[in-house]
Amino acid sequence: MTAITFADVSYGYPDGPLALQQIDLAVDAGEILLVVGSSGSGKSTLLRAVNGIVPHSTGGRFAGDVTVVERSTREHLPRALADVVGFVHQDPEAHFVVDRVEADVAFVLENIGFSQVSMRRRVEEVLDALGIAHLRDRNPATLSGGERQRCAIAGALASAPSVLVLDEPTSQLDPQGAESVLAAVTRLNADLGTTVLIAEHRLERAAPIADRAVLVTDGRVSLGPSETGSVLATYPGAPSVTRLGRLLGWDPPPLTVRDARRRYATHRPSLNAPIPDLADAPASGDLAISATGISVRLGARVAVHGVDLDLHQGEVTALLGRNGSGKTTLLRALAGLTKVDKGTVTTHATIGYVPQDPNTLLFSPTVREEVRETLTLLGRSDNALVDRWIDVLGLHDLSDRHPRSLSGGERQRVAIAAVAVGGAAVLLLDEPTRGMDAESRHALERAISAHVKEGGSVVLATHDIELAARCANRVVVMGDGEVVANGSARDVLSGSLFAPQVLRVMPPFLTVEEVANALNTPSRNTP
Amino acid sequence: MRTPSATHRPWHSATWLIWALAAAGSVQLAPSPVYVALVIGIAWLMVETHAADGPYRRAFPALVLLGVIFASVRVVIAALTTHNGVDVIVTLPQATTPQILGGFTIGGTLEAGVVLSSLASGFTIVGMLAVFGAFNSIASHYELVQSSPRAFHELGLITTVALAFVPATIESVTAVREADMARTGGRKIRRGRLIRMIVPVLERGMERAIALSESMDSRGFGNAPSARAERKSGWCGLAALLVLGAAFVALVGRAPATAIALSLLGAFLLILAVLLSSRGSARQRYRHIRMATADWLLAGVSLLSPLLLGFVAIVGNDSLAWYASPLVWPTFDPVVALCLVPLLAPLLRLPVPMSGIDVGTGAYEHQPDMAETT
Repeated sequence: MTAITFADVSYGYPDGPLALQQIDLAVDAGEILLVVGSSGSGKSTLLRAVNGIVPHSTGGRFAGDVTVVERSTREHLPRALADVVGFVHQDPEAHFVVDRVEADVAFVLENIGFSQVSMRRRVEEVLDALGIAHLRDRNPATLSGGERQRCAIAGALASAPSVLVLDEPTSQLDPQGAESVLAAVTRLNADLGTTVLIAEHRLERAAPIADRAVLVTDGRVSLGPSETGSVLATYPGAPSVTRLGRLLGWDPPPLTVRDARRRYATHRPSLNAPIPDLADAPASGDLAISATGISVRLGARVAVHGVDLDLHQGEVTALLGRNGSGKTTLLRALAGLTKVDKGTVTTHATIGYVPQDPNTLLFSPTVREEVRETLTLLGRSDNALVDRWIDVLGLHDLSDRHPRSLSGGERQRVAIAAVAVGGAAVLLLDEPTRGMDAESRHALERAISAHVKEGGSVVLATHDIELAARCANRVVVMGDGEVVANGSARDVLSGSLFAPQVLRVMPPFLTVEEVANALNTPSRNTP
Repeated sequence: MRTPSATHRPWHSATWLIWALAAAGSVQLAPSPVYVALVIGIAWLMVETHAADGPYRRAFPALVLLGVIFASVRVVIAALTTHNGVDVIVTLPQATTPQILGGFTIGGTLEAGVVLSSLASGFTIVGMLAVFGAFNSIASHYELVQSSPRAFHELGLITTVALAFVPATIESVTAVREADMARTGGRKIRRGRLIRMIVPVLERGMERAIALSESMDSRGFGNAPSARAERKSGWCGLAALLVLGAAFVALVGRAPATAIALSLLGAFLLILAVLLSSRGSARQRYRHIRMATADWLLAGVSLLSPLLLGFVAIVGNDSLAWYASPLVWPTFDPVVALCLVPLLAPLLRLPVPMSGIDVGTGAYEHQPDMAETT
């Protein structure tokens, strides 16, 4: 039984090149299909074609035929497919129509024309299925990211569609939130037999739950659909354990830490270089920022409470902690953007801050002008500097594009370049890898290490433990507004339940690159 | 039907609408600054005790601020253009506009009486907007939509969705201003700031709107086939408009009897159109949240305020309004203040704290997630 069929589908946005080219794809009923591919490869377009948003809402040129549960999107508008396809947008904030969770879940039922009695029952069931019954009266704007994402899924799921389409459902979530969302998806798939189509960049958690995967490159299906492991075997954005397996020649490469541990138990590699020292001391240059006993109140809530933190030059610090633990507020306090109620922040260097949402910054017609604008504002002009940051962040090919036409990860890089070009010694980056593909992440890591080499320092507030493992030499963990751990990356991450994957398989190694160095063989596909 | 525990809002939103109308009526009937201040205080108290957590909470301070701005502009204009020559504070250079622009005098003498009385009337604007702000902070717009006639359902829903863009835009402006400051390492640069603000705010709003429309579309919004009743109701509405237009023509043409007859007919057709459309819609609403007896009682109690004030005004009370010339302090009459007491009635029932963990600790609760992943 196939749930979704793409038959020779090609599509181009109005005035754009072809975003999808001759796609032939059959999704089996009841399976979880993972769609991977770099930013701008056409993943989102593919997903949006399932319920006819492409081409009915977007316009453009469409050829071929998409059939969902025997209904063609040529003859059915998205709204007429609401009972068979549930669609959850990349940005859950934009998903909510009604300002109360329960009523928003009922929205689709009212539109389809359920009777009041069956609506009441269905809403209760869906609230339970996603574990959000306790949030029913809340305003979605006041929820945490994970809660909000689950509520958005509930809103798409209320009509009991046979197909659920999720566009990067975990890209904005902390590890705990991501896990709860994916657990809910797995449960729906197992209990109700819902077919799930899921596009994702961060595959550590999404890859293991998928039955099959498909790789999309330049609008074409370039690999699959076939078993997840075989599709990810050569994919640069594969989870760390998969890349570790690739490095150590395990076939098929593992998808989960559990698989990898089993393989490691029987296939121990012989290491040529010494095992890294557990107490890698953070590099300590001159003091850049020193915060003593700072507390910040946001309304009635104490967001940061009595934090002491010294940041040195030449140091990359990763700030970890669940959504709402005070990471952003701490960064804003260090950047002087929010009033500190108690304590002092002493700065010995210039500070640049890149906000979580790059869209707040971008307004120029091209990427290059956007980066140059900062210098113009500061009354300087230095084209060499502009070029350097454009190159470091891998934006060279995009420099004449409009920043708004770029993908989320690319916009984030533009925002970082636009702030960094101002010459701040300390860069505070808030959640920089949101929605970034492997290539963008790699460019970001290169930029960070280049900046640090020149004596600058970087603070990353992030949920991406793998990123922290790869580029931070110090890790600070926050919980409930307080610093709960502060030390060298290896030290702090070793004790963590949410440790990076490689560390959980082969302690004390943090990254695939470290293992590769120890083997004295260059790692293939390093990103 | 509706119990306090089902919504955590002790009073129905329609009740709050009536409360707000009563409070606004009271401001109009007792415009003396003393009583307006009392009403603003009551509105503030209601926001503090009843407003739900969420972006709309800021409607109260935002609208009060808007009122203050309106009032200040009004005071400046009145002070510069109205002159009675009594109690002059200072004399400014003056200019008279050309005849074609009205030929009035700007500047000249500034009189205490004029300034104070325009301040007082400005203060009533602040009072009205405070009441409106309190209503927006407390009531759920969605609940209002759910309790309106079904014919207005889609229109009301679209209005609430549009309203939601107001707090989102305010948030956007704050974020963009901050990002702009962060870009230059905390230095404020005014040159060209407007364009740096407006473009990101508008583009974010646009992107949000597109995403929302896709979300509504993929959740089946507007999927109802237009029924025959819908068409009938459309014709009825059109006829109603034509008849009402004719009534207006009759009114202008000094034929009051015809005008009254025609407007009655028009009103009848309008109600018929609403009824037809409500009946014809096959869709049911998730929860038709009705007003409970207590809600009706509260609405009635709130309306006592303007009624009592009206009575006091008819009997005659000098304290209700205040005229700044001759210069005297506004007076305070406990009887009038007592008339405002019914506006405090919503305090009889306060919001129930939401089940378990989530109120208080604020926006980012996470324990449930942790519990489930283990």
